[in-house]
Amino acid sequence: MATPTDTQEQSSDGPLQRWTQSAIQDPEKVYRALFYAAMVFFLVTTLFPFYWLIVLAVTPEGNLLSGSFLPTVNLFGVSGTFPLPVPKGFNPGAFVTVFEQVPFHLYMLNSFALAVTTTVIVLFVASLAGYVFGRLRFPGRALLMLGILAISYFPPAAFVIPLFQAFAGNAPITVPFTSIPLFTPPRMLNTPGSMVLPFSALFMPLSIFILTTFYGQIPDGLEDAARVEGTTRLGALFRVIMPLSAPGVATAAVLTFIAVYNEYFFSSIMATSPEAAKWSPIVGGILSYQTQYTTQFNLMAAASIVGVLPVVILVIVAQERIVSGLTSGALKE
Amino acid sequence: MARVRLEHVTKRYDDQGDVVTAVDDMNLDIDHGEFICFVGPSGCGKSTTMETIAGLTIPTEGEIYIGDREVTNLPPKDRGIAMVFQNIALFPHMDVYDNISFGLRLRDYPQDEIDRRVERAADIVQLEGMLNRMPEEMSGGQRQRVAIARAIVREPDVFLMDEPLANLDAKLKVHMRTELQRLHKELDTTIIYVTHDQEEAMTLSDRIAVLDSGQLQQIDPPLTCYNEPDNLFVAGFIGSPSMNFVEGTVTETSLETPNFSLEFNPSSIEGIGVGDSVTLGIRPEDIYPGELKSEVPDPSGMITATTDILEPMGDEIFAYLLLGDGETSMSQELATNDQLLMSIDPDSDLEEDDEIGVVIDRRNVHLFDSATGDAIVHDLIPYEAEGTASSSEVESDD
Repeated sequence: MATPTDTQEQSSDGPLQRWTQSAIQDPEKVYRALFYAAMVFFLVTTLFPFYWLIVLAVTPEGNLLSGSFLPTVNLFGVSGTFPLPVPKGFNPGAFVTVFEQVPFHLYMLNSFALAVTTTVIVLFVASLAGYVFGRLRFPGRALLMLGILAISYFPPAAFVIPLFQAFAGNAPITVPFTSIPLFTPPRMLNTPGSMVLPFSALFMPLSIFILTTFYGQIPDGLEDAARVEGTTRLGALFRVIMPLSAPGVATAAVLTFIAVYNEYFFSSIMATSPEAAKWSPIVGGILSYQTQYTTQFNLMAAASIVGVLPVVILVIVAQERIVSGLTSGALKE
Repeated sequence: MARVRLEHVTKRYDDQGDVVTAVDDMNLDIDHGEFICFVGPSGCGKSTTMETIAGLTIPTEGEIYIGDREVTNLPPKDRGIAMVFQNIALFPHMDVYDNISFGLRLRDYPQDEIDRRVERAADIVQLEGMLNRMPEEMSGGQRQRVAIARAIVREPDVFLMDEPLANLDAKLKVHMRTELQRLHKELDTTIIYVTHDQEEAMTLSDRIAVLDSGQLQQIDPPLTCYNEPDNLFVAGFIGSPSMNFVEGTVTETSLETPNFSLEFNPSSIEGIGVGDSVTLGIRPEDIYPGELKSEVPDPSGMITATTDILEPMGDEIFAYLLLGDGETSMSQELATNDQLLMSIDPDSDLEEDDEIGVVIDRRNVHLFDSATGDAIVHDLIPYEAEGTASSSEVESDD
């Protein structure tokens, strides 16, 4: 109970001290404050680059390099620098120009096709692996799992040179350390095959781990019931186990899709030049706005925004499932 | 005709280097239309045996026949079976209609045939009007009925039921039990039913297969298992509360146990000799208070005992009797030899710690070989003529 003297004492302190006092009484307040601080931090770090892209995209090309994006504002006689960058002019035409200068939609289509193909392959193969690792007991299971984990830690760059040689199809593959030829691979550079294959292999381990956890949690009785009702083991996997693991499957699918959609390293090497016809992805397209002498930052920014839209839509649609997938997978086992 | 035969079926597991035999040389011959219960304690191999019939487990050795076909290595879907699981195992992502029709749709039945069959199955298990519900919206009993409907809709040759009532509450269990019996009457299909509850086995089945440690102990109609158990295990497992067992030695005129003796003529019984150690088995309802002696056809001599604990059940009272000096109740482990469980009339005025005399109906006692556990005889013929038998005193051993 606050007596008059208490109130007087408290009011004589500064506002910070008063806040500290009440925070000691009610620690919830501190947690809430920390939560908001963290939220603001994450929002700024994730949303600011996006905002910066928009500012760049709508700024007319001629104004890009002259003057500051931080305008000086004069407010009631006090002049100062506005803390946020604002566009210098307004030219939404950049969003049209990106498609006129470069067939950017084709680059997007490339990335989209590569991502979808890889996701389908990864989901299918990782489902088989997840079923085996999650539901069957056999000697060497832990060792195999460890092997997959170890390979997933290899840097992708380690595979680039041998894969490039193989996909170039110039010389036969030989037995290691000898010159005994095994076979000559077909030339796959500049085709989706040279990208989908390494992507699938690289992003497979993560999906295998996610799906193993999920498939392992489906009760044996359901699989037995499906098999007695008339499916094979594979049929039970695709008709019962997979639909019941939908959050896990969605998580694996979205993570794989986004990773491939954003991939540049492998595709920039496997597509020998950044042309849409050679299956160069979005990043290849964005870089085409840069020539030897000019860099059209506004077009690059506009292309980046257009390119990111499909992923934004995908995440908004699937986010509930992804979140429940990531957490429920983490809670059990 | 779906006769089910198991020939020398054995299942061994390798448990980190140890070989565990879950089913040991099982031979069974189940007739068409029979209702068979596999009963036994947990880990006795009853579920594994059923899984080998279902095809969910492939036996290490032996053959399984359903009808005229050998199915030992066939996948479950090709065996003409349907199964109801202990955890019900409805597909949570499908509604009742999809659950019931799952097997039919997999087999590409025409749509009108599927509709007709689902409707009939739903009718049999009284699920009309619930076909659009999801499993999570249903009660335990309703889910169990959906599981049964899913099994009957395919009109299988053999029904396998793995403790289908285990997860239901007591009242629903009794209700579903009668429904299962009605269903069996209606469908005339072979049903193999696994349970650990001997009461369920007794009430449901045509024959009970009692299993223990992977071996078949006895397969007989329920009352035969109850009245003429083949061995100590069956005797102890079938019947609730279970049979009293007292160790004893055969003399020329009687069976001597630590606390009493029971007169009989060993020479009149095959497979028993003087000096043999045997185990006497007496069901609680075959022990009578002394004052009813005249009503018992072949009573033993009076045995003195002290009542220890009374458990009134309503229609009867279970009385735990202490034989001998009555002091043993204080000891931690009560030797079974010193204790008898008796079932008495509910309006008896017996009280705890009373000293009473009891008699045993000698026509309904069982003798087992103590070493092997095998049954020797299921009734003791009186040693002498009726008159002398009743006057012979049986002393209680202090």
